Amino acid sequence: MNRLPHALRVTPTIARVAWSDLVAYRAEMVVWVLTAILPLFLLALWDAVLVDGDVAGFGRDDVARYFAATLLVRQLTGNWIAWELAYEIRQGQLSARLLRPLHPLWAAYVWAVAALPWRIVILSPLLIALALARPELLAWPSTAHASAFVVSVALAFTLSFLVQATFGSLAFFIDKADGAFGVWFAVWTVASGYVAPLAFFPASVVAALRWLPFRSMLGTPVEMLAGVLPKDALGMALAVQAAWVLVALMVLRAVWRAGLARYGAFGA
Amino acid sequence: MTTTGPRRALQVVAALLRASLSAGMQYRADFLFDAVTGAVRALATLAPLWLVYGLRDEVAGVGEREATLVLGCFLLVAALVHGVIEPNLGAVVEGVRSGAFDLTLLKPADAQLLVSLRTLAPGHVWDLLAALAVLVDATRRGPTPDLPHIALALWTAACGALALYGVWLGAIAAAFVFVRVDNLRFLLLAGLDAGRWPARVFSRGVATLLTVVFPVAVATTLPARALAGHGAWTDAVVAAAVAAAFLAGSRRLWRAALARYTSASS
Repeated sequence: MNRLPHALRVTPTIARVAWSDLVAYRAEMVVWVLTAILPLFLLALWDAVLVDGDVAGFGRDDVARYFAATLLVRQLTGNWIAWELAYEIRQGQLSARLLRPLHPLWAAYVWAVAALPWRIVILSPLLIALALARPELLAWPSTAHASAFVVSVALAFTLSFLVQATFGSLAFFIDKADGAFGVWFAVWTVASGYVAPLAFFPASVVAALRWLPFRSMLGTPVEMLAGVLPKDALGMALAVQAAWVLVALMVLRAVWRAGLARYGAFGA
Repeated sequence: MTTTGPRRALQVVAALLRASLSAGMQYRADFLFDAVTGAVRALATLAPLWLVYGLRDEVAGVGEREATLVLGCFLLVAALVHGVIEPNLGAVVEGVRSGAFDLTLLKPADAQLLVSLRTLAPGHVWDLLAALAVLVDATRRGPTPDLPHIALALWTAACGALALYGVWLGAIAAAFVFVRVDNLRFLLLAGLDAGRWPARVFSRGVATLLTVVFPVAVATTLPARALAGHGAWTDAVVAAAVAAAFLAGSRRLWRAALARYTSASS
């Protein structure tokens, strides 16, 4: 029996287990999802800015659409693997996972995918309230934008997972893996388009931000869903995302292998 | 025999602070690492303001200097919450679940005081320094505030901080009853972010909520307004009233929660 079919065969079962786990801890899940409400505060700020006129082609409706999309995409690309992995490595709980005939990171990936429907269910009251308060933000994206968005959000989700797993794996080497991820996260909030559309940055900065991995983790799908990315830029944006997924996969693979070689299994 | 009264309380506070500081400082490499983290976090928090004021001179009638002062106050409040309030009150929830809270109750001092100042997260002292740097820099970019305005700023900031402590204590008291929502306080942390900008950015209703329901604006908008030189004396009264209400209310909730506490082991 070779490994890949086995991993795929057990995937539905992991997903079912993950789903039951999330249902069991739904109250906790609600709180976690609702902690990502910063886009609403940012919307208030930028709305106050745009009252005095458009900026970089963004009017008040565009910015409302942008931050509603940010709220959604943040959930669709979210996971907690950096903290979970660092914790399990420190506590030695990873040992038990390594014994199973399945890659622990694949199980964690499936787990994170299974959480997505829940995240949307929990977020929907907020989104509906926002749409009722600002009905003009509801606009159907073009078919090209919508289909690019679907691919893009899957790539962004995967990239976020790979980056977080890499930072989690740093716990094999250092005690402060969480802190290292904290630094990355702080940079991400600015460079990904989370606190402001990249179009609001000075032109020279935007040029660099387009090629860095941060935008591929959030800004790209947000711009597609909000319809602010020109149609002819869709393909290139997806290509950049795919390239970063490959790079992140290789980095994670290297860090994970080196880490496992060092892993002394605390408490084993 | 327990002596009570303010003097005893002060002794307990001093002893708690000494013990928690020396416990927190023992990991020195971590402490330096936290310096980098703190600086990057502060810069990332400032970034939206640079963008906004790169485009506009005023937003909702607030200029860059005052908005930066608000953000400095926010960083100060965040350092306080992460460094003092959160590590202590977060530990209570765990203690209630594990039963270790029994030991706290057995000690001959006020339990609220004991659980509020048992540990400090010294890494957040860098956040505090970053906040002060932002505040000093922004203050110097305009006319130096006179003494009454500085006093008003300190007064409103202190009232705001105490009111927020009350919010957290209330949430912890709730966790005695509903242990399931022990991560409720992370929601409070997320709400704290509303204090990043001047309250006037939000609608009137939300701004009022941020003063009397979740009083983060008392700790950020009001002191910044005072430092910018146009604070009103009514601000001092509002801040004091909010702080008094939240402290008294949370003390009552805490008492009620203690009365219901049956210990994990019984």
